[in-house]
Amino acid sequence: MSKSARAPGASSKRLAEDGGASPLSHSLHSLSLQHSSPSKPARSPAVADPSSDICPVCKSSRYLNPNMRFLVNPECYHKMCESCVDRIFSHGPAPCPIAGCKRTLRKAKFRRQTFEDLKVEREVDIRRRVARAMNKQESDFETLKDYNDYLETVEEITWNLILKIDVENTERRLRLWEETQKAERDPNAPRRLAEPDPSLPSDTSHVVLKKGATQRKALAASSGNTPDPFGTSDDADKDAGFVFHGLKKYVPPEPEKPFNPFGGWGIEPKYYVFQKDYDVDWLTRQKNDPGHLVGGYDMQDFYSRCLREAFGGLGIFIEDEIIARENQASGDAGVGTRSAATAAAGGKDVDMSDVF
Amino acid sequence: MKLSEDDIYRTSTQYKHWSFTPAQLAAQRQKTNLVAAERVKANVARQRATRAKQLDTASASESDRANTPGIENGNGEGGSTPARPGGEVECLTVAEEMKLVDVFCERALELGAFCGFPIEVTATGIQFLRRFYLYNSPMTYEGQNISRTCIFLANKTEGIHVTAEEYAAKFSNVTSDQVLAPEYLIVQALRFNFDVRHPFRGLKGAHLELWEIAKGKFAPLPHDSRTGEAAQAEMLALPTKTGEPAGKRVSVNEFEKRLTATYNAASAVLKTAALLTDAYFLYPPSQIMLAAHLLADEPLTLFYLSTKLPPSSPIHAKLLSTIRACATLLSSHRSFTSSSTIKEEKEARDKKEKSAVAALIKKLRHCRDPDKLDLVQLNQAHKRDAVQDGSLEEQKAKRRKLEREKAKKEADDFWGPELPKNGAKAG
Repeated sequence: MSKSARAPGASSKRLAEDGGASPLSHSLHSLSLQHSSPSKPARSPAVADPSSDICPVCKSSRYLNPNMRFLVNPECYHKMCESCVDRIFSHGPAPCPIAGCKRTLRKAKFRRQTFEDLKVEREVDIRRRVARAMNKQESDFETLKDYNDYLETVEEITWNLILKIDVENTERRLRLWEETQKAERDPNAPRRLAEPDPSLPSDTSHVVLKKGATQRKALAASSGNTPDPFGTSDDADKDAGFVFHGLKKYVPPEPEKPFNPFGGWGIEPKYYVFQKDYDVDWLTRQKNDPGHLVGGYDMQDFYSRCLREAFGGLGIFIEDEIIARENQASGDAGVGTRSAATAAAGGKDVDMSDVF
Repeated sequence: MKLSEDDIYRTSTQYKHWSFTPAQLAAQRQKTNLVAAERVKANVARQRATRAKQLDTASASESDRANTPGIENGNGEGGSTPARPGGEVECLTVAEEMKLVDVFCERALELGAFCGFPIEVTATGIQFLRRFYLYNSPMTYEGQNISRTCIFLANKTEGIHVTAEEYAAKFSNVTSDQVLAPEYLIVQALRFNFDVRHPFRGLKGAHLELWEIAKGKFAPLPHDSRTGEAAQAEMLALPTKTGEPAGKRVSVNEFEKRLTATYNAASAVLKTAALLTDAYFLYPPSQIMLAAHLLADEPLTLFYLSTKLPPSSPIHAKLLSTIRACATLLSSHRSFTSSSTIKEEKEARDKKEKSAVAALIKKLRHCRDPDKLDLVQLNQAHKRDAVQDGSLEEQKAKRRKLEREKAKKEADDFWGPELPKNGAKAG
């Protein structure tokens, strides 16, 4: 669950921190994965709790409806049964029906809970989100200490969010960091305005069922003209959310070169200059013969082959080259001729059928 | 990382495995001849011994040998051992073997023409034949069979599809089995190198360029500063013979006639003399082509060469001497008809040649390797599960086949075939 440091020193430190942490960490130790599945709704007797089998919204119980399933929304983690979700949220976003909770929920966000303990469920969600933004590795840092400092910051953010300490500021910094990272990785991507993550609780959020015209105007104004309330601006030295000491600068990978199937090899004639067309009498018939042209026969293929054959080996003096070849490596040169020679000397025909 | 034409030629099997220095070529032939002669002698002796044992009368084989007149007065200079009836066999010498191979090649040329195959098929077939007889002796394998199959193989390699039956039907008394029997043997001897680079293909390329120059569309190489017009003017004023001063400028049409004549002459040389000599073993195709061109029109070839290599180039002189040496080799062949040869003289030479060949073939008949006479049967024997007369063989073949199938099936099993019993105990 928690990020583990690779260095032994750091890990011991991290352990100590984990060990002496808040009561929530106890729930981490006692977390258990739910084994229930649609086909097996029955629970183990140890965790059987009569209240967990009754929907807090419609008060129907599993006793009456054995196929009942409970869903939660990561917005507020309030449990309700599937039919309630269908009933309340199928016409669009609506406020949470639990008394005292004013959050707006959407049907699409409802899901089955993974962990028995909803606190654990929430922590896991937060950790997942933080891990998505803070995805540096040890190799991205110059020293191990820098990396450990980074890990500590990450853990701090995580616990801030879990324990709801300074949530607004942390959220903002996290978002900024995510934005800058994205811009760095993909400079061509269109910059999106950072929207508050609906999966995370925030005190400022209020029930907005349908955006009125005035509200929309206000939103547009705040995003466009008015200075950012958090003071982010498009300056060169803008706030990246976090500053990590010793973080290596991101070097974008080199753009891929166009693929060359021949690995850069090519044929460059030494003794002739290849022309596009050769105007010779004895080829006019072939050039205009549809029988040649229809099949896609290219006269240039003919030209290039003719010329290559005409000068292939013009500068090769066989006697010299063979002597050089013999001198250079008497072992492997001319394997074919050599083996044939030995075979002939041995008084046997070259019979390769034994090989197979 | 750019390759020139020379580098491309260096990757060919013709350069790698089938190019020799004259000394290597001679040594190889000597070796082949020596080995073949020893085998022939051994095999004949063995055959005679078995026959003598069989007949239990020595006189039978004696009389067999006795009715062989005319060997002794054939070629005295070639015989390493004088032929004594019932004694040592008189084998062919290297020179005689070469002569015979040349005869085979000439016959193959006629064979190709007779069957109406294009020249590249015949030419490839002849090169196969020459390559084959570099490592095998005519005493071991008979020329007629081999050349027939070589042409058949060449058909395949040149992309002309003739089935063995169709091919065999072109001859009288030849079955497709006879055509196919030495095929694998030849392919092995060729070391599966089917690619033959012919010079007459390049001749077309050279003429493409010559025509362009004649029309004033000269595309010069970097070292050449001549313009199209200058090259054209120089070309049109070329003398017809070397050594003469530059003649007067002829018209383009006039010159094109000269080009056509040159092409025809060079092509004729490439399609006969070049095939029938060792040129393919000794020179790359480009040099053979230029040599033939040199024989056809020397001033034109020298001019053309000057557009390719500057006279200051270090290899220019060397290349020219190589080409001239190749030209000498080509023109030394009998088929090369220069204007200087008189008709009667040529006829007389042909006649002499013919009688010499007849004597050689007669001599060959007495020194054939008896083991390799029936290639069809040899081929059969080579095949798996060859059924050789008798049901015993057939049973054996069947049993072997069953065993093979069983082994194959077991090998396909997940854990492979079963381990031998004693091996399992040891483990």
